[in-house]
Amino acid sequence: MKKILLLLVSVLFTLNTFGQSSIDYSPVNTVTQVGDTLIMKFQYFKGDGNDLTLGQVDFEYNNKLLSYVSHQSQAPSGASFARNNWSGYKYIPKTDGDEGDMDVQFAWWLTGGDTYSTSADWSIERITVQSASALEDGQEFVKYSFKVKDKFNSGYDNYNDIIKVNWANYQESDGTQIQTTRSKDGQDLSNITGGDAGSFTINLKTANTDNYTDYSYTVFDSSGTSVTSGDFDESGQGVIASGVLVNDVTYTAQANLTEVATYLDEVVTVSDLALVFAEAIGAGSGPSGGSTTFDYFIQDIMGDVVGDSNGVDFQDSYEILAYLQGVDSSNTNLITQAGQTEDYSGIESTYGALVSDVVTFDKSFTPTDDTTNAIDLAHGLRGDVNFSHSWTPTIESGGKSLMARQSSARYSKNESEDANIDLISEINDEGQVVFSINSDVEGMVGSQFNIVYDPNVIQLENVIFDTGNTMTNFSNIVESGIVRVGSFNQELSSTVKEGTPYKLIFTPLETIDNTSGLISFRVKEGVKADGTKINFIIQ
Amino acid sequence: MKKLLLLLLTFTILIGCAKDDEFLEPITNEEIPQSLQIKELIGIKLENTIVTDRVAMNVKLPLDGKYRIKIRHGINNELISQEMIDAEEGDNLLRVYVASLDKSGYMIQLTDEFHNVLGNQSFVVN
Repeated sequence: MKKILLLLVSVLFTLNTFGQSSIDYSPVNTVTQVGDTLIMKFQYFKGDGNDLTLGQVDFEYNNKLLSYVSHQSQAPSGASFARNNWSGYKYIPKTDGDEGDMDVQFAWWLTGGDTYSTSADWSIERITVQSASALEDGQEFVKYSFKVKDKFNSGYDNYNDIIKVNWANYQESDGTQIQTTRSKDGQDLSNITGGDAGSFTINLKTANTDNYTDYSYTVFDSSGTSVTSGDFDESGQGVIASGVLVNDVTYTAQANLTEVATYLDEVVTVSDLALVFAEAIGAGSGPSGGSTTFDYFIQDIMGDVVGDSNGVDFQDSYEILAYLQGVDSSNTNLITQAGQTEDYSGIESTYGALVSDVVTFDKSFTPTDDTTNAIDLAHGLRGDVNFSHSWTPTIESGGKSLMARQSSARYSKNESEDANIDLISEINDEGQVVFSINSDVEGMVGSQFNIVYDPNVIQLENVIFDTGNTMTNFSNIVESGIVRVGSFNQELSSTVKEGTPYKLIFTPLETIDNTSGLISFRVKEGVKADGTKINFIIQ
Repeated sequence: MKKLLLLLLTFTILIGCAKDDEFLEPITNEEIPQSLQIKELIGIKLENTIVTDRVAMNVKLPLDGKYRIKIRHGINNELISQEMIDAEEGDNLLRVYVASLDKSGYMIQLTDEFHNVLGNQSFVVN
């Protein structure tokens, strides 16, 4: 008897489970990114043997994540179809009933209670299909088309439960209510890519931190078309407004220094010259290393001012020497100088990395929802091998190995030291303005001073060198009111004589009693034989 | 008496041989514009704080001698220009030429020959 009862209960349970009709809703197509059109079908399945002649379905969708496009009735020929919609409402399910029991929820709605609340994020759709004859099992009611919206700034982190059927009113022709379930609690969308990346920040990485605003950025799409560009602000940030970049799309970014910056003639100096000469003497190597004196592979690129892509050699060192001397080498060089920049930029984390023996400047980035919407963009300048105005690579593969740097103990561009000198102007007995550079610094194989003066008040007449017999001296007017003065020993053996190695003589163009402000100094540096840069301190 | 006259003559000749422009001309207080007058015994003062091309400056000194006038950057205090003057006790009317300086804030500083600060003033090149 027990067994018979158990069997009866089992049969009844099975009938109860599989004896209900259902409202099935599911996507017809696959959507993968923002902007795709999602097509949803709403379908009747007959599970109880009843003849459905009225089907009414009420569902809600998240209007912050989906945008209604259209609907297409799938009602059979001869059947009536109606669609209603209300925006700004959300269904409140019957709390003590089964939320998935659609006829119970319909009965709840019939009570006329507070079954909907106002909610700007949600819209209610209601479809009604009425037929004189019973609908077939699997009959679709309707297809809806929605545009998938970007969840950026929507207040939602995902696309879960963006559509949910609230209740269903299934009836037979005599008004008998048919028990109904729904196929799922809610419709999710996953792996939706794209969408507004939101506000995106580019952080400029350069040693030239006093002049961030002289730099600009440009972002390109995969076809090389400029998507946006702008200037960095005083903190070194370039902020791209929302609506410009799209998530999961790969872009490239580059930074550029303006060619009208007033200090471009201060980028490549005698310190760079010493490093390039040392490399040419000791290395003669390509990017693969050899007996190089450089610390970073990127210096092979920066030092190749001739641009023959052959690493650093004597041609490059003499090109820089000629530049500092103001001599026209008749070559077209790539030295960063007044009116000319040769920029390199790339994502900081890989900037200057060596990949298959090639120095790389990867510029690509892909905004995603899961990462901070910012990149660090490093920037460097051709000729600036001592990184005075350029970013020093941080990636390990960008550094040369100690074995490759056989002479690394001698040439270390990161080393610098301070030394006191005295630069002073005065009027001599002849009424000339004399600018003296007085130095007691020992061991300098090179020195350089960029002197600025007022060309409307004084005129440069002469530069008197007292640097020793073996130094190559140079003085040239870079532009009106700027003269570059210095010395260099190409063998890196002789040093600048102590005392007053340089004296500039100016003739006043008007009557003057004193010289305050007439002469100022910008670049003032020396370099030792071991490559150590000397920063001159003037008391 | 002869010796006295000879001594007087020698002294007169010596003074006569001295170069006129070796020292800046002493200036009486009445000649100093009010905007450049310095109440203290020592100091430096510009006629204007915001300057464009050049500006008048008064340097008031306790003794004759060599002094330095330094221009330092207004933020990092870096020395960017320096001159040495031979000046006399009291007021010395001079000029500061700023046309070749970057538009920025600066400090002008008066020191003795050995860099001891005697006075300073802020100014702006506009």
